[in-house]
Amino acid sequence: MRARLPVAIVALACIGAAFVLLPVVALFVRAPWSRLGEALSGVGASTALRLSIEVSLAATAISVLVGVPLAWVLARGEFPGRNLLRAVVVLPILLPPVVGGVGLLVALGRSGLVGRWLHDVLGIQLTFTTAGAVLATTFVSMPLVVLATEAGLRGLDRRYERAAAAMGGSPWYVFRRVTLPMVAPQLAAGAVLTWARALGEFGATITFAGNLAGRTQTMPLAVYEARQVDPGGAIVLSLILVVISVAVLVTLGGRLTGLR
Amino acid sequence: MLAVRRAAVLFAVAVVSVGCSSSSTSTSSAAATTPLTVFAASSLTKAFTQIGQDFHTADPDVTVTFDFGSSTDLASQILSEGTADVFGSASGTAMDTLQSAPGVTDRTNFATNRLVIITPPDNPAGVTSVNDLARSGVKLVLAAEGVPVGDYARQALKSAGILAQATANVVSNEDDDASVVAKVTSGDADAAIVYTSDVASAGNTVRSVPIPSAVNVIATYPIAVVGGSAYPDQAKAFLDYVVGPTGQATLATFGFGPPSG
Repeated sequence: MRARLPVAIVALACIGAAFVLLPVVALFVRAPWSRLGEALSGVGASTALRLSIEVSLAATAISVLVGVPLAWVLARGEFPGRNLLRAVVVLPILLPPVVGGVGLLVALGRSGLVGRWLHDVLGIQLTFTTAGAVLATTFVSMPLVVLATEAGLRGLDRRYERAAAAMGGSPWYVFRRVTLPMVAPQLAAGAVLTWARALGEFGATITFAGNLAGRTQTMPLAVYEARQVDPGGAIVLSLILVVISVAVLVTLGGRLTGLR
Repeated sequence: MLAVRRAAVLFAVAVVSVGCSSSSTSTSSAAATTPLTVFAASSLTKAFTQIGQDFHTADPDVTVTFDFGSSTDLASQILSEGTADVFGSASGTAMDTLQSAPGVTDRTNFATNRLVIITPPDNPAGVTSVNDLARSGVKLVLAAEGVPVGDYARQALKSAGILAQATANVVSNEDDDASVVAKVTSGDADAAIVYTSDVASAGNTVRSVPIPSAVNVIATYPIAVVGGSAYPDQAKAFLDYVVGPTGQATLATFGFGPPSG
Protein backbone atom coordinates (compact mmCIF):
# COMPACT_ATOMS: atom_id res chain seq x y z
CA MET A 1 0.00 0.00 0.00
CA ARG A 2 1.23 3.48 -0.83
CA ALA A 3 2.04 5.78 2.02
CA ARG A 4 -0.25 8.82 2.07
CA LEU A 5 1.46 12.12 1.29
CA PRO A 6 1.09 14.78 3.97
CA VAL A 7 -1.71 17.19 3.04
CA ALA A 8 0.41 20.29 3.65
CA ILE A 9 3.06 19.15 1.20
CA VAL A 10 0.47 18.31 -1.42
CA ALA A 11 -1.22 21.69 -0.96
CA LEU A 12 2.05 23.60 -1.37
CA ALA A 13 2.93 21.46 -4.37
CA CYS A 14 -0.40 22.39 -5.96
CA ILE A 15 0.30 26.08 -5.43
CA GLY A 16 3.72 25.63 -7.00
CA ALA A 17 2.32 23.81 -10.02
CA ALA A 18 -0.54 26.29 -10.48
CA PHE A 19 1.92 29.20 -10.28
CA VAL A 20 3.89 27.83 -13.22
CA LEU A 21 0.86 26.74 -15.19
CA LEU A 22 -1.34 29.82 -14.79
CA PRO A 23 0.55 32.24 -17.07
CA VAL A 24 0.68 29.59 -19.79
CA VAL A 25 -3.05 28.95 -19.48
CA ALA A 26 -3.72 32.69 -19.48
CA LEU A 27 -1.79 33.07 -22.74
CA PHE A 28 -4.02 30.46 -24.36
CA VAL A 29 -7.21 31.99 -22.94
CA ARG A 30 -6.37 35.56 -23.92
CA ALA A 31 -4.95 34.78 -27.37
CA PRO A 32 -6.85 36.56 -30.16
CA TRP A 33 -7.96 33.26 -31.72
CA SER A 34 -10.54 34.90 -34.00
CA ARG A 35 -7.89 36.97 -35.77
CA LEU A 36 -4.94 34.63 -35.41
CA GLY A 37 -3.70 34.84 -38.99
CA GLU A 38 -3.94 38.61 -39.02
CA ALA A 39 -2.14 38.89 -35.70
CA LEU A 40 0.61 36.55 -36.92
CA SER A 41 1.32 38.53 -40.06
CA GLY A 42 0.88 41.88 -38.25
CA VAL A 43 3.78 41.26 -35.89
CA GLY A 44 6.01 39.63 -38.50
CA ALA A 45 5.99 36.28 -36.71
CA SER A 46 7.52 34.26 -39.54
CA THR A 47 10.46 36.66 -39.96
CA ALA A 48 11.17 36.68 -36.25
CA LEU A 49 10.77 32.92 -35.96
CA ARG A 50 13.13 32.20 -38.86
CA LEU A 51 15.73 34.58 -37.42
CA SER A 52 15.32 33.07 -33.95
CA ILE A 53 15.95 29.58 -35.27
CA GLU A 54 18.99 30.69 -37.28
CA VAL A 55 20.49 32.66 -34.41
CA SER A 56 19.87 29.98 -31.78
CA LEU A 57 21.28 27.18 -33.98
CA ALA A 58 24.36 29.23 -34.87
CA ALA A 59 24.90 30.06 -31.20
CA THR A 60 24.55 26.38 -30.28
CA ALA A 61 27.03 25.34 -32.98
CA ILE A 62 29.63 27.86 -31.76
CA SER A 63 28.96 26.87 -28.15
CA VAL A 64 29.63 23.20 -28.94
CA LEU A 65 32.64 23.97 -31.10
CA VAL A 66 34.51 25.93 -28.43
CA GLY A 67 32.55 24.83 -25.35
CA VAL A 68 33.36 21.11 -25.58
CA PRO A 69 37.13 21.71 -25.78
CA LEU A 70 36.71 24.14 -22.89
CA ALA A 71 34.94 21.43 -20.88
CA TRP A 72 37.76 19.02 -21.70
CA VAL A 73 40.40 21.49 -20.49
CA LEU A 74 38.41 22.11 -17.30
CA ALA A 75 37.94 18.38 -16.64
CA ARG A 76 41.40 17.14 -17.60
CA GLY A 77 43.75 20.07 -17.37
CA GLU A 78 46.00 20.41 -14.33
CA PHE A 79 46.94 24.05 -14.12
CA PRO A 80 46.78 26.87 -11.60
CA GLY A 81 43.64 28.96 -11.85
CA ARG A 82 41.50 26.16 -13.23
CA ASN A 83 38.74 26.77 -10.69
CA LEU A 84 38.92 30.48 -11.44
CA LEU A 85 38.56 29.72 -15.14
CA ARG A 86 35.52 27.57 -14.44
CA ALA A 87 33.97 30.37 -12.39
CA VAL A 88 34.53 32.81 -15.24
CA VAL A 89 33.00 30.41 -17.75
CA VAL A 90 29.91 29.93 -15.58
CA LEU A 91 29.52 33.66 -14.91
CA PRO A 92 27.07 34.36 -17.78
CA ILE A 93 24.56 31.94 -16.19
CA LEU A 94 24.39 34.09 -13.08
CA LEU A 95 24.77 37.52 -14.67
CA PRO A 96 21.67 39.39 -15.78
CA PRO A 97 21.84 39.11 -19.60
CA VAL A 98 21.65 42.89 -19.95
CA VAL A 99 24.96 43.08 -18.07
CA GLY A 100 26.40 40.68 -20.63
CA GLY A 101 25.10 42.99 -23.33
CA VAL A 102 26.74 46.04 -21.78
CA GLY A 103 29.98 44.08 -21.40
CA LEU A 104 29.89 43.01 -25.04
CA LEU A 105 29.18 46.60 -26.04
CA VAL A 106 32.28 47.99 -24.33
CA ALA A 107 34.32 45.03 -25.59
CA LEU A 108 33.13 44.49 -29.15
CA GLY A 109 31.02 47.59 -29.92
CA ARG A 110 32.30 50.05 -32.51
CA SER A 111 34.09 52.06 -29.82
CA GLY A 112 34.84 49.02 -27.65
CA LEU A 113 38.15 47.69 -26.42
CA VAL A 114 38.51 45.19 -29.27
CA GLY A 115 35.63 46.39 -31.41
CA ARG A 116 37.39 49.68 -32.16
CA TRP A 117 40.25 47.72 -33.69
CA LEU A 118 37.86 45.40 -35.56
CA HIS A 119 36.16 48.42 -37.06
CA ASP A 120 39.18 50.58 -37.85
CA VAL A 121 41.47 47.85 -39.17
CA LEU A 122 39.13 45.21 -40.59
CA GLY A 123 36.07 47.34 -41.24
CA ILE A 124 33.86 45.00 -39.19
CA GLN A 125 31.02 46.31 -37.02
CA LEU A 126 29.22 43.63 -34.99
CA THR A 127 26.57 45.78 -33.33
CA PHE A 128 23.25 45.90 -35.23
CA THR A 129 24.13 42.72 -37.19
CA THR A 130 22.83 39.16 -37.07
CA ALA A 131 26.39 38.08 -36.22
CA GLY A 132 26.18 40.39 -33.20
CA ALA A 133 22.92 38.75 -32.13
CA VAL A 134 24.59 35.33 -32.45
CA LEU A 135 27.53 36.49 -30.31
CA ALA A 136 25.28 37.91 -27.60
CA THR A 137 23.24 34.71 -27.58
CA THR A 138 26.35 32.53 -27.47
CA PHE A 139 27.72 34.50 -24.53
CA VAL A 140 24.62 33.79 -22.49
CA SER A 141 23.96 30.18 -23.47
CA MET A 142 27.38 28.52 -23.91
CA PRO A 143 28.02 27.77 -20.21
CA LEU A 144 25.24 25.17 -20.20
CA VAL A 145 26.96 22.86 -22.70
CA VAL A 146 30.34 23.42 -21.03
CA LEU A 147 29.06 22.40 -17.62
CA ALA A 148 27.05 19.41 -18.86
CA THR A 149 30.00 18.11 -20.88
CA GLU A 150 32.48 18.67 -18.07
CA ALA A 151 30.24 16.75 -15.67
CA GLY A 152 30.10 13.92 -18.22
CA LEU A 153 33.88 13.89 -18.63
CA ARG A 154 34.41 13.74 -14.89
CA GLY A 155 32.05 10.79 -14.55
CA LEU A 156 33.83 8.87 -17.28
CA ASP A 157 35.70 5.64 -16.62
CA ARG A 158 39.22 6.63 -17.65
CA ARG A 159 40.30 2.99 -18.20
CA TYR A 160 38.85 2.96 -21.71
CA GLU A 161 40.89 6.00 -22.68
CA ARG A 162 44.04 4.53 -21.12
CA ALA A 163 43.50 1.26 -22.94
CA ALA A 164 43.07 3.06 -26.26
CA ALA A 165 46.21 5.10 -25.60
CA ALA A 166 48.16 1.99 -24.57
CA MET A 167 47.25 0.38 -27.89
CA GLY A 168 48.92 3.26 -29.67
CA GLY A 169 46.07 5.69 -30.21
CA SER A 170 47.15 9.32 -30.48
CA PRO A 171 45.58 11.74 -27.96
CA TRP A 172 43.46 13.28 -30.73
CA TYR A 173 42.35 9.78 -31.87
CA VAL A 174 41.43 8.80 -28.30
CA PHE A 175 39.49 12.04 -27.82
CA ARG A 176 37.59 11.58 -31.07
CA ARG A 177 36.92 7.83 -31.00
CA VAL A 178 36.70 7.04 -27.28
CA THR A 179 36.10 10.11 -25.14
CA LEU A 180 33.57 11.94 -27.33
CA PRO A 181 31.29 8.93 -27.97
CA MET A 182 31.25 8.10 -24.25
CA VAL A 183 30.34 11.65 -23.26
CA ALA A 184 27.87 12.08 -26.13
CA PRO A 185 24.66 11.78 -24.05
CA GLN A 186 25.72 14.55 -21.67
CA LEU A 187 27.02 16.64 -24.54
CA ALA A 188 23.74 16.26 -26.41
CA ALA A 189 21.67 17.14 -23.33
CA GLY A 190 23.90 20.18 -22.76
CA ALA A 191 23.55 21.23 -26.39
CA VAL A 192 19.76 21.02 -26.19
CA LEU A 193 19.75 23.13 -23.02
CA THR A 194 22.06 25.63 -24.71
CA TRP A 195 19.76 25.79 -27.71
CA ALA A 196 16.65 26.24 -25.55
CA ARG A 197 18.37 29.01 -23.61
CA ALA A 198 19.53 30.60 -26.87
CA LEU A 199 16.00 30.61 -28.24
CA GLY A 200 14.81 32.61 -25.21
CA GLU A 201 17.70 35.09 -25.12
CA PHE A 202 16.59 38.69 -24.83
CA GLY A 203 18.62 41.09 -22.68
CA ALA A 204 22.11 40.69 -24.12
CA THR A 205 20.79 40.70 -27.67
CA ILE A 206 18.72 43.89 -27.46
CA THR A 207 21.51 45.67 -25.58
CA PHE A 208 24.34 44.66 -27.90
CA ALA A 209 22.73 43.99 -31.27
CA GLY A 210 19.67 46.25 -31.16
CA ASN A 211 16.22 45.48 -32.50
CA LEU A 212 15.54 45.31 -36.24
CA ALA A 213 13.07 42.96 -37.90
CA GLY A 214 14.81 40.36 -40.06
CA ARG A 215 18.27 41.22 -38.78
CA THR A 216 18.40 41.21 -34.99
CA GLN A 217 14.77 40.98 -33.89
CA THR A 218 14.45 37.43 -32.57
CA MET A 219 11.16 36.14 -31.14
CA PRO A 220 11.62 37.47 -27.59
CA LEU A 221 12.48 40.93 -28.97
CA ALA A 222 9.44 40.78 -31.24
CA VAL A 223 7.28 39.95 -28.22
CA TYR A 224 8.72 42.92 -26.35
CA GLU A 225 8.12 45.35 -29.20
CA ALA A 226 4.64 44.03 -30.04
CA ARG A 227 3.65 44.47 -26.39
CA GLN A 228 3.52 48.27 -26.90
CA VAL A 229 1.50 48.49 -30.10
CA ASP A 230 -0.27 45.14 -30.36
CA PRO A 231 -0.72 43.25 -27.06
CA GLY A 232 -2.72 40.53 -28.85
CA GLY A 233 0.14 40.00 -31.27
CA ALA A 234 2.55 39.74 -28.33
CA ILE A 235 0.42 36.93 -26.92
CA VAL A 236 0.41 35.08 -30.25
CA LEU A 237 4.21 35.34 -30.48
CA SER A 238 4.54 34.17 -26.88
CA LEU A 239 2.32 31.18 -27.61
CA ILE A 240 4.58 30.13 -30.46
CA LEU A 241 7.52 30.07 -28.05
CA VAL A 242 5.45 28.11 -25.52
CA VAL A 243 4.53 25.54 -28.18
CA ILE A 244 8.18 25.17 -29.24
CA SER A 245 9.28 24.69 -25.64
CA VAL A 246 6.60 22.06 -25.04
CA ALA A 247 7.61 20.31 -28.26
CA VAL A 248 11.23 20.18 -27.02
CA LEU A 249 10.08 18.71 -23.71
CA VAL A 250 7.94 16.10 -25.43
CA THR A 251 10.68 15.18 -27.92
CA LEU A 252 13.23 14.70 -25.18
CA GLY A 253 10.79 12.72 -23.06
CA GLY A 254 12.06 12.56 -19.51
CA ARG A 255 15.67 13.33 -20.37
CA LEU A 256 15.53 17.06 -19.78
CA THR A 257 14.08 16.56 -16.33
CA GLY A 258 16.49 13.75 -15.52
CA LEU A 259 13.76 11.17 -14.93
CA ARG A 260 14.96 8.63 -17.41
CA MET B 1 21.71 10.19 -15.50
CA LEU B 2 23.33 12.41 -12.95
CA ALA B 3 24.94 14.70 -15.51
CA VAL B 4 21.67 15.39 -17.24
CA ARG B 5 19.99 16.04 -13.94
CA ARG B 6 22.76 18.38 -12.95
CA ALA B 7 22.45 20.17 -16.25
CA ALA B 8 18.71 20.51 -15.68
CA VAL B 9 19.39 22.17 -12.33
CA LEU B 10 21.79 24.58 -13.99
CA PHE B 11 19.19 25.30 -16.59
CA ALA B 12 16.71 26.13 -13.88
CA VAL B 13 19.23 28.56 -12.40
CA ALA B 14 19.77 30.08 -15.81
CA VAL B 15 16.07 30.50 -16.40
CA VAL B 16 15.57 32.18 -13.06
CA SER B 17 18.31 34.66 -13.82
CA VAL B 18 16.76 35.70 -17.10
CA GLY B 19 15.17 38.78 -15.68
CA CYS B 20 14.95 42.18 -17.17
CA SER B 21 14.89 45.11 -14.86
CA SER B 22 12.80 48.17 -15.28
CA SER B 23 14.38 51.48 -14.55
CA SER B 24 12.98 52.59 -11.25
CA THR B 25 14.71 54.96 -8.98
CA SER B 26 13.75 55.96 -5.51
CA THR B 27 14.69 59.26 -3.95
CA SER B 28 14.83 57.83 -0.45
CA SER B 29 13.33 54.95 1.43
CA ALA B 30 12.54 56.40 4.81
CA ALA B 31 9.75 54.58 6.61
CA ALA B 32 6.37 56.07 7.51
CA THR B 33 6.35 58.46 4.58
CA THR B 34 3.77 58.46 1.82
CA PRO B 35 5.11 56.43 -1.09
CA LEU B 36 4.09 58.24 -4.25
CA THR B 37 4.51 56.34 -7.52
CA VAL B 38 5.13 58.43 -10.62
CA PHE B 39 5.21 56.91 -14.10
CA ALA B 40 7.02 59.13 -16.56
CA ALA B 41 8.40 59.20 -20.09
CA SER B 42 12.01 58.03 -20.25
CA SER B 43 12.99 61.43 -21.68
CA LEU B 44 12.05 62.88 -18.26
CA THR B 45 14.42 60.58 -16.34
CA LYS B 46 16.97 63.17 -15.24
CA ALA B 47 14.61 66.13 -14.83
CA PHE B 48 12.00 64.21 -12.82
CA THR B 49 14.60 62.49 -10.65
CA GLN B 50 15.84 65.96 -9.68
CA ILE B 51 12.28 67.27 -9.16
CA GLY B 52 11.49 64.20 -7.03
CA GLN B 53 14.46 64.93 -4.78
CA ASP B 54 13.53 68.61 -4.48
CA PHE B 55 9.92 67.71 -3.75
CA HIS B 56 10.99 65.29 -1.03
CA THR B 57 13.22 67.98 0.47
CA ALA B 58 10.28 70.40 0.45
CA ASP B 59 7.91 67.80 1.88
CA PRO B 60 9.82 65.03 3.71
CA ASP B 61 6.56 63.17 4.39
CA VAL B 62 6.33 62.12 0.74
CA THR B 63 8.81 59.86 -1.00
CA VAL B 64 8.54 59.76 -4.76
CA THR B 65 9.40 56.59 -6.67
CA PHE B 66 9.66 56.72 -10.44
CA ASP B 67 9.13 54.23 -13.21
CA PHE B 68 10.56 55.58 -16.44
CA GLY B 69 9.85 54.06 -19.84
CA SER B 70 8.04 54.51 -23.11
CA SER B 71 4.87 56.55 -22.47
CA THR B 72 2.84 54.13 -24.57
CA ASP B 73 4.13 51.21 -22.55
CA LEU B 74 3.55 52.97 -19.22
CA ALA B 75 0.00 53.90 -20.23
CA SER B 76 -0.84 50.28 -21.02
CA GLN B 77 0.64 49.24 -17.66
CA ILE B 78 -1.50 51.81 -15.86
CA LEU B 79 -4.51 50.60 -17.84
CA SER B 80 -4.02 46.99 -16.81
CA GLU B 81 -2.48 47.38 -13.36
CA GLY B 82 -3.40 50.90 -12.23
CA THR B 83 -0.40 51.18 -9.96
CA ALA B 84 0.61 54.78 -10.65
CA ASP B 85 -0.42 57.93 -8.75
CA VAL B 86 0.85 60.41 -11.32
CA PHE B 87 1.58 59.98 -15.03
CA GLY B 88 3.88 62.32 -16.94
CA SER B 89 3.57 61.47 -20.63
CA ALA B 90 5.58 62.46 -23.71
CA SER B 91 2.44 62.37 -25.81
CA GLY B 92 -1.18 63.39 -25.48
CA THR B 93 -2.18 60.17 -27.26
CA ALA B 94 -0.73 57.98 -24.52
CA MET B 95 -2.55 60.06 -21.90
CA ASP B 96 -5.79 59.86 -23.92
CA THR B 97 -5.86 56.07 -23.57
CA LEU B 98 -6.38 56.52 -19.81
CA GLN B 99 -9.16 59.10 -20.15
CA SER B 100 -12.09 56.68 -19.79
CA ALA B 101 -10.46 54.10 -17.51
CA PRO B 102 -9.00 54.40 -14.93
CA GLY B 103 -9.62 58.11 -15.62
CA VAL B 104 -7.30 61.04 -15.02
CA THR B 105 -7.83 64.31 -13.16
CA ASP B 106 -6.06 67.68 -13.17
CA ARG B 107 -4.62 66.94 -16.62
CA THR B 108 -2.43 69.78 -17.79
CA ASN B 109 0.44 70.30 -20.19
CA PHE B 110 3.69 70.98 -18.33
CA ALA B 111 6.48 70.93 -20.90
CA THR B 112 7.35 70.85 -24.58
CA ASN B 113 10.17 69.25 -26.42
CA ARG B 114 11.51 69.28 -29.95
CA LEU B 115 13.37 66.80 -32.07
CA VAL B 116 17.08 66.90 -32.82
CA ILE B 117 19.56 64.63 -34.56
CA ILE B 118 22.38 63.33 -32.41
CA THR B 119 25.62 61.70 -33.55
CA PRO B 120 28.68 60.43 -31.69
CA PRO B 121 31.14 63.30 -30.96
CA ASP B 122 33.37 62.34 -33.93
CA ASN B 123 30.33 62.14 -36.25
CA PRO B 124 31.61 59.09 -38.18
CA ALA B 125 29.01 59.32 -40.96
CA GLY B 126 29.42 63.08 -41.41
CA VAL B 127 25.77 63.91 -40.72
CA THR B 128 25.27 67.68 -40.90
CA SER B 129 21.62 68.01 -41.90
CA VAL B 130 18.37 66.08 -41.76
CA ASN B 131 18.75 65.20 -45.45
CA ASP B 132 21.98 63.32 -44.65
CA LEU B 133 19.83 60.72 -42.88
CA ALA B 134 18.63 59.62 -46.32
CA ARG B 135 22.17 58.91 -47.49
CA SER B 136 22.71 55.18 -47.96
CA GLY B 137 24.89 53.53 -45.30
CA VAL B 138 24.12 55.88 -42.41
CA LYS B 139 23.43 53.70 -39.38
CA LEU B 140 20.29 55.36 -38.01
CA VAL B 141 18.59 54.42 -34.74
CA LEU B 142 15.01 55.42 -33.97
CA ALA B 143 12.56 54.53 -31.24
CA ALA B 144 10.08 51.87 -32.35
CA GLU B 145 6.74 52.82 -33.83
CA GLY B 146 4.25 53.36 -31.03
CA VAL B 147 6.89 54.94 -28.80
CA PRO B 148 6.15 58.70 -28.84
CA VAL B 149 9.62 59.87 -29.91
CA GLY B 150 9.65 57.15 -32.60
CA ASP B 151 6.34 58.34 -34.02
CA TYR B 152 7.40 62.02 -33.84
CA ALA B 153 10.68 61.17 -35.62
CA ARG B 154 8.87 59.38 -38.47
CA GLN B 155 6.51 62.34 -38.73
CA ALA B 156 9.49 64.72 -39.11
CA LEU B 157 11.19 62.45 -41.66
CA LYS B 158 7.95 62.36 -43.62
CA SER B 159 7.72 66.17 -43.58
CA ALA B 160 11.31 66.27 -44.84
CA GLY B 161 10.29 63.93 -47.66
CA ILE B 162 12.87 61.27 -46.79
CA LEU B 163 10.84 58.79 -44.74
CA ALA B 164 11.41 55.80 -47.04
CA GLN B 165 15.16 56.36 -47.49
CA ALA B 166 15.75 57.11 -43.80
CA THR B 167 13.77 54.11 -42.51
CA ALA B 168 15.78 51.91 -44.88
CA ASN B 169 18.85 53.13 -42.94
CA VAL B 170 17.40 52.18 -39.56
CA VAL B 171 19.56 49.57 -37.82
CA SER B 172 17.55 49.37 -34.61
CA ASN B 173 14.09 50.26 -33.30
CA GLU B 174 14.56 50.92 -29.61
CA ASP B 175 11.98 50.55 -26.87
CA ASP B 176 12.20 54.03 -25.43
CA ASP B 177 13.91 57.38 -25.88
CA ALA B 178 16.67 56.68 -23.35
CA SER B 179 17.66 53.46 -25.16
CA VAL B 180 17.95 55.40 -28.43
CA VAL B 181 20.36 57.88 -26.83
CA ALA B 182 22.41 55.00 -25.37
CA LYS B 183 23.01 53.52 -28.84
CA VAL B 184 24.65 56.80 -29.89
CA THR B 185 26.63 57.47 -26.68
CA SER B 186 28.12 53.96 -26.99
CA GLY B 187 29.38 55.05 -30.41
CA ASP B 188 27.66 52.25 -32.31
CA ALA B 189 25.01 54.22 -34.19
CA ASP B 190 25.92 56.98 -36.68
CA ALA B 191 22.84 59.05 -35.89
CA ALA B 192 19.54 59.05 -34.04
CA ILE B 193 16.52 61.31 -33.68
CA VAL B 194 15.72 62.18 -30.08
CA TYR B 195 14.51 65.15 -28.04
CA THR B 196 16.47 68.38 -27.62
CA SER B 197 16.26 67.78 -23.85
CA ASP B 198 18.35 64.62 -24.34
CA VAL B 199 21.20 66.77 -25.67
CA ALA B 200 21.07 68.95 -22.55
CA SER B 201 21.34 65.77 -20.43
CA ALA B 202 23.91 63.92 -22.54
CA GLY B 203 26.32 66.86 -22.63
CA ASN B 204 29.44 66.32 -24.72
CA THR B 205 28.91 62.58 -25.15
CA VAL B 206 26.88 63.43 -28.25
CA ARG B 207 27.01 66.02 -31.01
CA SER B 208 23.73 67.58 -32.11
CA VAL B 209 22.51 68.50 -35.55
CA PRO B 210 19.41 70.72 -35.60
CA ILE B 211 16.23 69.80 -37.46
CA PRO B 212 14.68 72.87 -39.17
CA SER B 213 11.44 74.21 -37.65
CA ALA B 214 9.59 73.62 -40.90
CA VAL B 215 9.84 69.84 -40.47
CA ASN B 216 10.35 69.64 -36.71
CA VAL B 217 7.69 68.34 -34.36
CA ILE B 218 6.75 69.91 -31.06
CA ALA B 219 6.03 67.25 -28.45
CA THR B 220 3.67 68.45 -25.75
CA TYR B 221 3.94 66.67 -22.39
CA PRO B 222 0.76 66.25 -20.33
CA ILE B 223 0.74 65.28 -16.65
CA ALA B 224 -2.26 64.09 -14.61
CA VAL B 225 -3.29 62.40 -11.41
CA VAL B 226 -4.28 58.82 -12.19
CA GLY B 227 -7.79 57.77 -11.18
CA GLY B 228 -7.85 55.38 -8.24
CA SER B 229 -4.66 56.78 -6.72
CA ALA B 230 -4.39 55.91 -3.05
CA TYR B 231 -2.81 59.32 -2.37
CA PRO B 232 -4.73 61.81 -4.54
CA ASP B 233 -3.79 64.83 -2.39
CA GLN B 234 -0.06 64.13 -2.45
CA ALA B 235 -0.32 63.26 -6.15
CA LYS B 236 -1.95 66.63 -6.82
CA ALA B 237 0.77 68.33 -4.73
CA PHE B 238 3.49 66.71 -6.85
CA LEU B 239 1.68 67.73 -10.04
CA ASP B 240 1.43 71.30 -8.78
CA TYR B 241 5.12 71.23 -7.93
CA VAL B 242 6.00 70.16 -11.49
CA VAL B 243 3.79 72.86 -12.98
CA GLY B 244 4.93 75.45 -10.43
CA PRO B 245 7.99 77.73 -10.67
CA THR B 246 10.54 75.32 -9.11
CA GLY B 247 9.53 72.40 -11.29
CA GLN B 248 9.42 74.56 -14.39
CA ALA B 249 12.88 75.98 -13.65
CA THR B 250 14.29 72.45 -13.28
CA LEU B 251 12.65 71.32 -16.52
CA ALA B 252 14.15 74.35 -18.29
CA THR B 253 17.58 73.43 -16.92
CA PHE B 254 17.20 69.99 -18.47
CA GLY B 255 16.32 71.46 -21.86
CA PHE B 256 12.53 71.34 -21.86
CA GLY B 257 10.45 74.19 -23.24
CA PRO B 258 7.53 75.81 -21.42
CA PRO B 259 4.07 74.37 -22.05
CA SER B 260 2.32 76.08 -24.93
CA GLY B 261 -1.24 77.11 -24.23
